[in-house]
Amino acid sequence: MKTQKTILVVEDEKSLRNAIADVLRLKKFLPLEAKNGREGVELALKKHPDLILLDLIMPEMDGMAALKKIREDGWGATVPVIILTNLSATNEKLAGDMAAHKLVHYLIKSDWKIHDVIKKVEKILEAETINSL
Amino acid sequence: MRKKIISLADDIARKLKILAEEKEDVRQKLAVTAEALRLKAKQLVVTAKEKEDVRQKLAVTAEALRLKAKQLAVTAKEKEDVRQKLEVTAKEKEDVRQKLEVTAKEKEDVRRKLAVTAEALRLKAKQLAVSRETLEEKVLERTKDIAEARAKEEAILASIGDGLAVVDKEGKIMYVNQSFEQMLGLKVKEVIGRSMVEVVPREDQNGAEVQFEERILTQVLSGKKFVADLTNPFYYIRKDKSRFPVSSIVTPVVLGGKIVGAVETFRDITKEKDIDKAKSEFVSLASHQLRTPLSSVNWYAEMLLAGDVGKVTPEQKKYLEEVYRGNQRMVGLVNALLDVSRIELGTFLVEPEPTDIVKLAQVEIGEQKLQIGAKQIQFSSSFEKNIPLILADPKLLHMAVQNLLTNAVKYTPEGGKVRLTIALSDVHVLIKVSDTGYGIPKNQHDKIFTKLFRADNVREKDTEGTGLGLYIVKSIIEHSGGKIWFSSPGKTPLGGESQENPGTAFHVTLPIN
Repeated sequence: MKTQKTILVVEDEKSLRNAIADVLRLKKFLPLEAKNGREGVELALKKHPDLILLDLIMPEMDGMAALKKIREDGWGATVPVIILTNLSATNEKLAGDMAAHKLVHYLIKSDWKIHDVIKKVEKILEAETINSL
Repeated sequence: MRKKIISLADDIARKLKILAEEKEDVRQKLAVTAEALRLKAKQLVVTAKEKEDVRQKLAVTAEALRLKAKQLAVTAKEKEDVRQKLEVTAKEKEDVRQKLEVTAKEKEDVRRKLAVTAEALRLKAKQLAVSRETLEEKVLERTKDIAEARAKEEAILASIGDGLAVVDKEGKIMYVNQSFEQMLGLKVKEVIGRSMVEVVPREDQNGAEVQFEERILTQVLSGKKFVADLTNPFYYIRKDKSRFPVSSIVTPVVLGGKIVGAVETFRDITKEKDIDKAKSEFVSLASHQLRTPLSSVNWYAEMLLAGDVGKVTPEQKKYLEEVYRGNQRMVGLVNALLDVSRIELGTFLVEPEPTDIVKLAQVEIGEQKLQIGAKQIQFSSSFEKNIPLILADPKLLHMAVQNLLTNAVKYTPEGGKVRLTIALSDVHVLIKVSDTGYGIPKNQHDKIFTKLFRADNVREKDTEGTGLGLYIVKSIIEHSGGKIWFSSPGKTPLGGESQENPGTAFHVTLPIN
């Protein structure tokens, strides 16, 4: 196995960000934390994490704008992103945006157990590893 | 002695003398009587003679009388004839008299009636005279009232807050009120006699002008029924080409069964649209803001329960589980509220796709296994073979079936029965969820699909529940073109019609196409 996987957590709510980071560490991941979209883009492009957990509604730059910037980058075009939000994906604009940015996953925070979120991360990374072999 | 003898002799002498005297008396008396008898005889002779005379005379008289009688008999007969004739005449006279009497009576009646009628007519005439006066007064009064009312009505029409236009049967404007002028920036004199459709252009949301034939006004005037679509607002264009969202109602004016014109009222709904937008924004904000702290509690409780930060004692675990369960309920409530808001805002994203309803139901049953087992409920199901795929949003159907099943399990006492069947009927798929549960009180049947409503009997038994489930289910089913209804007591072969637990059966039909 390759070295420790890096996961970027872009989340403005400190308590949630900490919770995810704690569990990620527990599961032997290396969490990177960003508290808004702008910081998220900076960290992503600098550190090239293995996966990004992205909140949508955030100050300074929201999740969709951040995602757009990341996807514009050569490296960022293919990095797996999990939208982890509390905004229900029921409006058409959001659905359209997601399709345009090749989103693979969309999770509602309050409906997902934190350990299930991490399991999802592990599963996606596994699939990525197989694909890249 | 001698003396005595002498006296005696004297006495006898005296007595003889008396006797002699008495004899003489009798003789005299007898002589008288004889004389009287002689006389009498003489008289008798005379009398006999007289009698004979009389007899003869009588005989003559008798003859005369007989003659007379004969004459009299003749006369009597004649008299009788006359009498009879007279009698007949009298009868005739009586008849005539009676007839005359009747006629007289009739005449009297008629006269009396005429008198009464005359009196009545006189009274009527008097009354009429009075009425005419009152009427004239009233007419004057009413004319004044009408003039006032008319002025008032005109003032009311002119100052109605909604725009108002009255058009004739060609759609030419006959009347507009002040609000019309203000809202559209047009003056009365500019528009009277002109076509409403031309004067006030109408655009849809995308700015495309609604064509003449498509205008509600045109349709109403041609007698077509139309259904107002309030979900997609239209816009009216002002004189200065600016536009505003409008909600309008057009009603035909019908006189003698013919459409002679129409009345249109319209309202600027800019404010309503703003409120709508604010509501959507609130929902989105609420979903985010309410869910964030809930997620936080969820995740930390999960981490503690998982022992991520050290072992927890059984007591601590119990308490943490309570915290977690309470939070889960809150999450459920927020989610239900969000669903309701989306239904009401019409922002439910319905993505219909061919859906296998049986498979979907089986997944639901699997998810309910735990609760079914915990309450030792006897669950059964039956699915008709060859149920076709139906075009529906699986996420929404999932929600609907889940709600119905959860309710059945939740509101059925331990050891009760729950049954789910799916059958086919012509063009519909029939889903039925029945139970032997608490049932729905009769007096609350009509409220059961109402938002936030919970029946009294289940409120007593189970304090959890939002009162949103069936409201959401009904919205989903109706959005999908289906129908939902229920019966309680649930008329099912489950035997759940006891008084205490009459049971409930929910029926859902979904169109196949």
